[in-house]
Amino acid sequence: MAGELWVAVMVAAAGTLLMRLLPLVWMQRRLAREDSQGATAAMPRWLGVLGPVMIAAMLGASLVPAAGTLNAWVATAVGGCVTLLVWWKTKSLGWPVVWGVVAFGVVRFLNFVVI
Amino acid sequence: MSDQAISAGGRAWVRGVRDAIPLLGGYIPVAISFGLIANQAGFSSWEAIIISLVIYAGASQFLFVGMVASGAPLWLVVVMTLLINARHLVYAPNLAPWLTGNRWWFWLMHGLTDQVFALAHTRLPALPSSERLGWFTGAMLLAWFSWVGGTALGAFAGQELTGRWPLLNDVMPFALPALFVVLLAPRFTSSLWAAALGCAIVVALLFAANGLPNMAIPVAALLGAAVFFVMQSNTRAEV
Repeated sequence: MAGELWVAVMVAAAGTLLMRLLPLVWMQRRLAREDSQGATAAMPRWLGVLGPVMIAAMLGASLVPAAGTLNAWVATAVGGCVTLLVWWKTKSLGWPVVWGVVAFGVVRFLNFVVI
Repeated sequence: MSDQAISAGGRAWVRGVRDAIPLLGGYIPVAISFGLIANQAGFSSWEAIIISLVIYAGASQFLFVGMVASGAPLWLVVVMTLLINARHLVYAPNLAPWLTGNRWWFWLMHGLTDQVFALAHTRLPALPSSERLGWFTGAMLLAWFSWVGGTALGAFAGQELTGRWPLLNDVMPFALPALFVVLLAPRFTSSLWAAALGCAIVVALLFAANGLPNMAIPVAALLGAAVFFVMQSNTRAEV
């Protein structure tokens, strides 16, 4: 890799780190200032809403299967329902994911076997 | 630091690793693809690994190697890489109320990816403050190492791996949407939240399905937030 390409990699890396880090510094200072003024330190309301909707958006984007076939969409729907059902029963983090992936895999595997 | 605190931190570290295990299903196959594509774009295996190590941001890494391979000017490559990552600006402030004053947090922000944010946003509030640093360190390091390890696998043996186990490569990435379902399900606590979250899910799905995955998250999140505030103000006006 040429010298200028290494510089580009390092600038992109530093920029990405700063985008993750500087907002934390800003928010921590804001919370500390509110705390020192005797006010209840709280996040701005819009930020508290933006967090969960970002996770929802990640879910939506990740639901699109790479294969893009009808079987892949059916497997996604089945996997999603099984994940939700196991979460409903166990209220845990790991098992719903395991069973969701298994259900998705079974539907995808049936497609490979049948076709 | 007392023995009890060290012990609690140690347990939290292990719990963080355990909670982040579902991320591997999504990270490793995508990282293998990145290693493979970076090789095909003319980067050596070690260069691909270093890019994963220092940039550590999935979509923007694919864009970076793709634009370099197509001969785009380097300043544009850097600008586009950073623009794709702009959504990360809102992650750390969302976690700030649960982070302690320890300086290590600043360095740990290197690992604040989409998925680690989603996981931490749900788990950190439920942990005692003495365990949060240990938990985040464990979760973040597992995710980071899996990304770098997956890149190495893809760069050194990607073609053989994807050729031998095509179904595994197809199935494992479903761990990510499954994890998001679990993280999001407890947040459907009212019709207001259901509408906002439902809107964000559907809009992101439509954008991603139509070949616009990079625009999907910011646009869907903004629309979901808009639905939340519009519905909230309407409810107040009626009262």
